[in-house]
Amino acid sequence: MAPMKGLTVFIADLRKCRSNEEEERRVNKELANIRTKFKDPNLSGYNRKKYVCKLIYMSLLGYDINFGHREAVELISSSKYSEKQIGYLAVSLLLIENDDYARSVLSALRRDMHDPNEWIVCLALNAISNITIQRMAEILTEDIVVQLLSPAASVFTKKKAALCLLRLLRKFPDAVNAQRWAARIVPYLGHRDIGVTLAAASLVTALAQQFPDDTRKAASFAIRRLKSLVVDNEYPTDYVYYKVPAPWLQIKLLRLLQYYPAPESPELRSLLLSILRHIIDISQDVPRELQQMDAQYSILFEAINLGIHLDIDQGLMRECALLLGRFITSRETNVRYLGLETMAHLAAYIDTLEPVKAYQGVIIRSLRDRDVSVRRRALDLLYSMCDVDNARVIVSELLRHMAVSDAALREEMALKVAILTEKFATEYSWYVDVMMRLVSLAGDHMGDEVWHRIVQVILANEELQLYACKISLQTLKAPVCHESAFKVSAYVLGEFGHLIANTPDCAPVDQLKALQAKMGATSQAARAVALTTVGKFINLFPEIKTLCLRVLDRYRSALDAELQQRACEYYALGTVESEDLLPTVFEEMPPFPERQSALMSRLLKREADTEDQRTWVFGGREINRERKLQKPGNVSGGESTEDLDDAAARAQQLSDSDVQNSALLAAGGSGNEQAEAEDAGLTPEEHERVAKSKRHYARLLWESDGILYDGDEIQVGIVAQYKPPAGRIGVFLGNKSTAPICDIQVLVKSDSALAVQQATQDTPGSLLPLAQARLFFDVTCTRVFTTAPTLRVSYTVAGAPTVSELQLPVTMGHFIDPVTIPVGDFFARWKQLGDADIKEAQSVLRTPFLSDAAAVQWLRSVVGGMGFALIQGADPEPDNIVGVGIATTEVGGRFGCLLRVEPKPAHGLTRVTIRATSPDVARVIATNISMVFESR
Amino acid sequence: MFLESIRFILVQNRQGKTRLEKWYSDYGEQERQKLKAEVHRTVASRDQKHQSNFVEFYNHRIIYRRYAGLFFCFCVDTNDNELACLEAIHLFVEVLDSYHGNVCELDLVFNFYMVYAVLDEIILAGEIQETSRSVILSRLDQLSNLE
Repeated sequence: MAPMKGLTVFIADLRKCRSNEEEERRVNKELANIRTKFKDPNLSGYNRKKYVCKLIYMSLLGYDINFGHREAVELISSSKYSEKQIGYLAVSLLLIENDDYARSVLSALRRDMHDPNEWIVCLALNAISNITIQRMAEILTEDIVVQLLSPAASVFTKKKAALCLLRLLRKFPDAVNAQRWAARIVPYLGHRDIGVTLAAASLVTALAQQFPDDTRKAASFAIRRLKSLVVDNEYPTDYVYYKVPAPWLQIKLLRLLQYYPAPESPELRSLLLSILRHIIDISQDVPRELQQMDAQYSILFEAINLGIHLDIDQGLMRECALLLGRFITSRETNVRYLGLETMAHLAAYIDTLEPVKAYQGVIIRSLRDRDVSVRRRALDLLYSMCDVDNARVIVSELLRHMAVSDAALREEMALKVAILTEKFATEYSWYVDVMMRLVSLAGDHMGDEVWHRIVQVILANEELQLYACKISLQTLKAPVCHESAFKVSAYVLGEFGHLIANTPDCAPVDQLKALQAKMGATSQAARAVALTTVGKFINLFPEIKTLCLRVLDRYRSALDAELQQRACEYYALGTVESEDLLPTVFEEMPPFPERQSALMSRLLKREADTEDQRTWVFGGREINRERKLQKPGNVSGGESTEDLDDAAARAQQLSDSDVQNSALLAAGGSGNEQAEAEDAGLTPEEHERVAKSKRHYARLLWESDGILYDGDEIQVGIVAQYKPPAGRIGVFLGNKSTAPICDIQVLVKSDSALAVQQATQDTPGSLLPLAQARLFFDVTCTRVFTTAPTLRVSYTVAGAPTVSELQLPVTMGHFIDPVTIPVGDFFARWKQLGDADIKEAQSVLRTPFLSDAAAVQWLRSVVGGMGFALIQGADPEPDNIVGVGIATTEVGGRFGCLLRVEPKPAHGLTRVTIRATSPDVARVIATNISMVFESR
Repeated sequence: MFLESIRFILVQNRQGKTRLEKWYSDYGEQERQKLKAEVHRTVASRDQKHQSNFVEFYNHRIIYRRYAGLFFCFCVDTNDNELACLEAIHLFVEVLDSYHGNVCELDLVFNFYMVYAVLDEIILAGEIQETSRSVILSRLDQLSNLE
């Protein structure tokens, strides 16, 4: 296109402007000029093009351009290429808000798509990929597919058509109907033109994630194409980039293969291995020229990633580890960076960490690299390669670096230290020491999650508490005490201060003084925590009640409303004449329910934003295996041990699967009542009782504590805490009658797939009226089970023996942990699981009588309470709820579960669908949900 | 639900003036302004000699290289192949260089519309489209001879 003189002059004018005001004046003058020119009906094509160009330039400078759309559309309709080109550029850069113009652009595009000149078609395709609105996907997809598949279309058209489709597919997956044409794209991986193959490979990579079945032939195409490039050296010289043949295509194909399992056919397998071997061999020599080195190494790193994914040759992996070891000491920063990154990937999958651990020293030194990007990768790698053996070294190194590391990295470092310490702690004192140091060092750089988590862990582990108290008091007594450390210490002493009260220098009054001394200098949030501790002290140590009240009294007039309120309330509690009020209010906190650690979710959130299902996360093999398990390849593979175990478990459980419903019906009734219930000869009163028991049971399917049975004589409460595959069930027995209950016996009968053991010593033989006893049972889910265990309570009251047989709310559904996945992944996985038909369970249920908003809210809490991570925004329908969880059994493996709830308020119905890698798991969850619905 | 491989391309000078911007993902006007400023701040402050060409940027990564006074920055997914992207930048610069004959910052200013046309022949929809320098150049030649 010839340059436009007027445009050049205008740009030069603007560049000469000395101030923004001057520039603005010039722009306004030009805008007025252009407006006048546009009124001229005889404006030439050239001038129209020139003025539109000026408008584009002004809009690029940031000026708001709100006219010229009509002229842009006219340019598009011009027969001249250069005018058309500027027209399309204008509509892609200037926003078109007016529907009429959008419609004319659309019809111009439609016309140009069928123009006999291929460069016009290409221009239209460029425009579609640059603008991309929904209507285009709806009306133009067909035309674009035709262009891609037509033998008459030029290679330029084909390349652009393929990428256009990719763009439409990504933006409007529902409008393009990709399944209809997906399979026909695959053969283009063998197209003679490298550009066309490259574009097709990009498209197929996206299709492979959505339609693995339709594109399953892609793997063999990719392998053969790679062979001709790498092994046979067949390629046109045009595509050699600094002595490396078609590097981008090699990478695309190596990447595409990472979406498929290792090929079954021995021929393809050995072909693939020889390709990888070839690439590794070529890379042994260090290329001299930068570009050549980059190109060669970009292929190598992709090949290593593929090798890790295929996991078929450990020898090759060891060799990769060696090569990577060389890279992480390279003088080239880019190479060090990629070496560390790829090694972290390797560490996340490799069977033994030894080859990686050999470089531990170098990796630790990389924490001091000049480049923060490299330091970050080193941190990731240390996190991935950490295990019980090297945890102490790695954690202490990270702590050492924390003090000097950049603020940007410190938060992540702190999170990772916290997670690693919790995961690999073998001694309680180590955990407490590290965490206290951590909060002191990095407290300013991390969210509240970290100190909350420390408190949670201490509450949950009795063995930790004494030591934690000692350290807390020390921390408070130290000359400087970080805010977060102060909060942890205050909380811990408030809960467990009595444990050390008899040790010298740790008397209640010492504890209170230490707290008071630091309190003044802390923030209001920390002082609020401290006030609560003082309140708890009144209960723990009546001997210092007056002192405590004095502290509270001072804060009763605090300016901060929160502090004032706390102080007033605690003061009032402390001065009320009542024996059991304080002990009840300040009762020891129960351990927090074990759900996914907030630290983990925070870390995962940082890493979640990608479309790529091939992704892996830092942090070791277990997590990645879990993720792999949920992938389609493994699910439909059928050969994995999980599936075999699953089959065995299924066979074993088939016989008792029928029992479930009837047993559930009588849940909670006493033995006699159960028999009657099945006879259906129920009095209204009994009806009511059975319904009530069912409600209690259903509630415990998604809440961790509550009443299970409320009879005339006894009441049974449940507090459950799960850490799949294990759990601890607390059973509370209360005597509601006016006479003592004697000869109490409690027995749990369970399926062999669920191991149950009583954790507390002996069942108390008798209970006085209004007294309560608690018993703990440890449960371990060894395999998938479908029948909930029964709790048999027998006792004698007033000489009459009674037996209550209750269904314990412990089901497969309780062994589910939430898993967060990228929003985009959900439906891809959903679909993949749905293809195997038996693994789905679906029910249509009557929505409980609630208003729409409340119903949705309630549904969310039910789904969340059942252990699913809600994936917000994954479902196009905003009211639908989708969730992901993973069920864990001790020896039967783990099972990914996807759940979708579709409320249909208009019909008062809700459809619930569960897809899981085990049909039994799906069925149990479905049954649980129906029970929750029915008894709401 | 799906995201592009390249989210956006920015070419900025050392003062932070943007000479080319190409957005492959949907960003609002305000967001674009913010991103431009942040990319400049992130990239320009880095040590050009001893640091890598990759830097973390929110949940993505910026792959960049400096040519004379211009920073060519690609924002990509963290899972993308960094070196391949870095060389795509080089390819783009080489093509611009051959096409304009020793390209300089002012060429990008005065011929901004041509730069978009060149880019559309190399990268489309956030994916690399053509990687042969000679194929791209002869195509550009052919197109610029059209009326």
